[in-house]
Amino acid sequence: MRHVYSHGETGSIRRIDARNVQLLPRKDAFWIAQLLRRAGFGASPAELDRYQKLGYKATLDELLHPERIDNSALESLLAREKFDFGNPYAIKKWWMYRMLHTANPLEEKMTLFWHGHFATSLQKVGDPKVMLEQNKLLRRLALGNFETLLLGVSKDPAMIIYLDNQENQKGRPNENYAREVMELFSIGIGHYTEVDIKEAARAFTGWHTNQKRSAFVFDDKQHDDGEKKVLGQRGNLNGDDVVHILARSPDTGRYLAKKLIRYFAYDDPDGDFIERVATQYQVNGYQIRPMLHAIFSDPSFFTNRAYHAKIKSPPELVIGAIKTLGIRNADIDLPGVIASMGQNIFEPPSVKGWDGGKAWISTESMIERFNFATKISSQKFEELKPFMSPTQLASRQGLKTSHDAVNYFLDILVDGDVPDYTRARLVKYMETDLDGKATRGVKNEQVLDAKLRGLVHLIMSLPTYQLA
Amino acid sequence: MKISRRKLLIKGAQAGTFCLSAGELLKLAACAAEPQATAPRALVVIWLNGGNDGLNMVVPYADSAYYTARPGIAIKPGEVLKLNDKVGLNPAMSGLARVYADGHLAVCQAVGYPRANRSHFHSRDIWETGSPDGFVASGWLGRALDHLESEARARQIVSILPAVNLDPVLPKSLVSHHIAVPTVNNLADFDFRTDPKFAGDRKTQLAALNDIYQNFALGRPHVELLRDAGLAANKASDKLTKIVQGYKAGANYPGGGLGDALRFISQMVCGGVNARIYNVSLGGFDTHINQRAGQGNQLRQLSDAVAAFHQDLAAHHLDRSVITLIYSEFGRRVGENGSQGTDHGAAAPVLLVGKAVSGGVYGDHASLTSLDEGDLKYAIDYRQIYASILDKWFGLDPHEVLGKNFEEINLLEKHRT
Repeated sequence: MRHVYSHGETGSIRRIDARNVQLLPRKDAFWIAQLLRRAGFGASPAELDRYQKLGYKATLDELLHPERIDNSALESLLAREKFDFGNPYAIKKWWMYRMLHTANPLEEKMTLFWHGHFATSLQKVGDPKVMLEQNKLLRRLALGNFETLLLGVSKDPAMIIYLDNQENQKGRPNENYAREVMELFSIGIGHYTEVDIKEAARAFTGWHTNQKRSAFVFDDKQHDDGEKKVLGQRGNLNGDDVVHILARSPDTGRYLAKKLIRYFAYDDPDGDFIERVATQYQVNGYQIRPMLHAIFSDPSFFTNRAYHAKIKSPPELVIGAIKTLGIRNADIDLPGVIASMGQNIFEPPSVKGWDGGKAWISTESMIERFNFATKISSQKFEELKPFMSPTQLASRQGLKTSHDAVNYFLDILVDGDVPDYTRARLVKYMETDLDGKATRGVKNEQVLDAKLRGLVHLIMSLPTYQLA
Repeated sequence: MKISRRKLLIKGAQAGTFCLSAGELLKLAACAAEPQATAPRALVVIWLNGGNDGLNMVVPYADSAYYTARPGIAIKPGEVLKLNDKVGLNPAMSGLARVYADGHLAVCQAVGYPRANRSHFHSRDIWETGSPDGFVASGWLGRALDHLESEARARQIVSILPAVNLDPVLPKSLVSHHIAVPTVNNLADFDFRTDPKFAGDRKTQLAALNDIYQNFALGRPHVELLRDAGLAANKASDKLTKIVQGYKAGANYPGGGLGDALRFISQMVCGGVNARIYNVSLGGFDTHINQRAGQGNQLRQLSDAVAAFHQDLAAHHLDRSVITLIYSEFGRRVGENGSQGTDHGAAAPVLLVGKAVSGGVYGDHASLTSLDEGDLKYAIDYRQIYASILDKWFGLDPHEVLGKNFEEINLLEKHRT
């Protein structure tokens, strides 16, 4: 059997998703597009074409192994930009360019995941270069061993500053890092006591940065080397020991599994799915990559339960649109646009990061999403030149009627996943003039251009377009 | 009469239609004919994000244990803005000290709940849902809104927006069963825009989008949420931009996000938006290090902004229609830590501001020596304050919102109906 999702016949899909028996196409192309919306930030027509020639399994394999891929085009593009990394905006733009132009979308997607997981804010850290170094650490270890990553983060200057471990000293413990490393970074709430936190804080005493706040130093004069007891283990524990205990706890496997499934597949995974993914963590020596493989090849990833079941995060929405519509002069304030939709990268709202899912949606963020669609589709919004030419796209595709145009743009933007009424109402919209009067005849070019732009705007404003 | 009428209305609303006897209709008509205030009563909620240190906000300056526990960060008796012979406000809070002197600030001491949770996020959930004991999907304000709205509809009171959230993300407190609460914090951008080159097409696009949204049914998990938010967004952008024009502030608001937000709330109150609840937050209270300066700045911003808001409403003769509740997810540990800061703790004071508020200090400050896991014990359950507001301010049955009865505190003038 060639396809990962075709282990069973249609009946097995029904069994997995008994609550909803709607069948979805069992074509590689369909699921590859979904994989790229989840494991990446959507895909351009050319990228989709290439991945579809590879097939699902090889595409997944490629995404899971960024180290095998030549990403030099991205690196030289970034080098040409000559970013000044002392400037907060520069590191944001640098990262958005990575998301947009990388040949390794899953690597960037996981970096974004870890940024939300190990949330650290420029607002408190201050120095953009320190934040950039943390970002590189998260990328380097994005799919690797979690214990290595957790240790790296515990010694990361940005994190040390953000959670006040700089101030954590022998005889004068500061509990901030000790609490969050348990509650948010590893085992999760309910699996530790207040005493564990107090003891772990002592273990992390003396884990500081140098004077320039650019590198980790262990200040042994400030380290409490008395006996401590954390999660049942007793001894002269230091930070390494606590990281070791936390990373190897099965609670961490489950906590990460649930969070990764919610990030990549759907919001309310059942216990079985979590166990399947958490097991990968335990049996593969605390590696992240096998967990991701398990998620993206789990039978439930190919069901109605997963399909269009996640709300796009702001970068997914924005970068996806740029890729799908082939926008080249993307001189858009990308960090500003996603910040207005609720995700100001390098400045998460709290140490818990972004809640994601439903929390992306409010009246205000919907207006921002609608207005991004306007910006992208307009002939003239705030910019001198339009970002896209729907007329060109339409003629290249040989679209002749309003029906053709509606079907084509629904297809590329939302997989055609809309109620019949929407389709009919969009055709009706296309068949009006600029003054709103119905017209069936041939439009002049300017009116046609305006209506096609309006069509793209409306489709990007649909509920389905907000779904990944 | 009060309770039976409300129950009757809720029952009707739940059934979807009203089938009332002639006698009941007459009773309702009598209620509707009662003189209406210029604006319906509104509650502004300010959450101090991060766990505000209650001991350095309402300082127990007469208690030597306070100075023993905090040799580095205690506020000296001479600096405190005294409220009585036991406690006083942080010196940064001169604005609210004036409001207190005018009798419009209530300080509830040692507020908390059983088995204090010291996680920012879990404790915040507890405050926002009104349920310390288990998971609840809706918020206490959301449930209050459900009741307020069914009553408002029955009395044909038009509110453009039932509540407005000014924070980036809708808090759990405002999650309701029947109402999608809009989020607005940047009015300038809150407008459904279309291609300015083809302005004539805007109406056609808006009409198409509204039709599509109203008829959008698709068996996918988040579609209803998206549909409701999209419809509410278009409705709110249409009304809100018009209604807040022509407002002039009657006070000088301090710079910063909270001042801007309260000014915008005043704009909405004065413009007749008639929302019953406004939600906003102020961050920066997770003071693990250098607390004196850090907390002081935030408390100054809070105090100046709320005092300006109070004054502004008075200038518009709307100060009897608005009260402001100020709380945090927890207080902090009694003893300072090694970094001139404090770690996560438990009970802390809650403030209530407004002309309708009976000013004063409620309850004693928590003992600094008789502790619970090293933290202050609570004396007032936070839901007692919620219950008092629900009953006295909104005329709701607290039991219906909180699921239990709580002893109320006389923080407010009696509701007149």
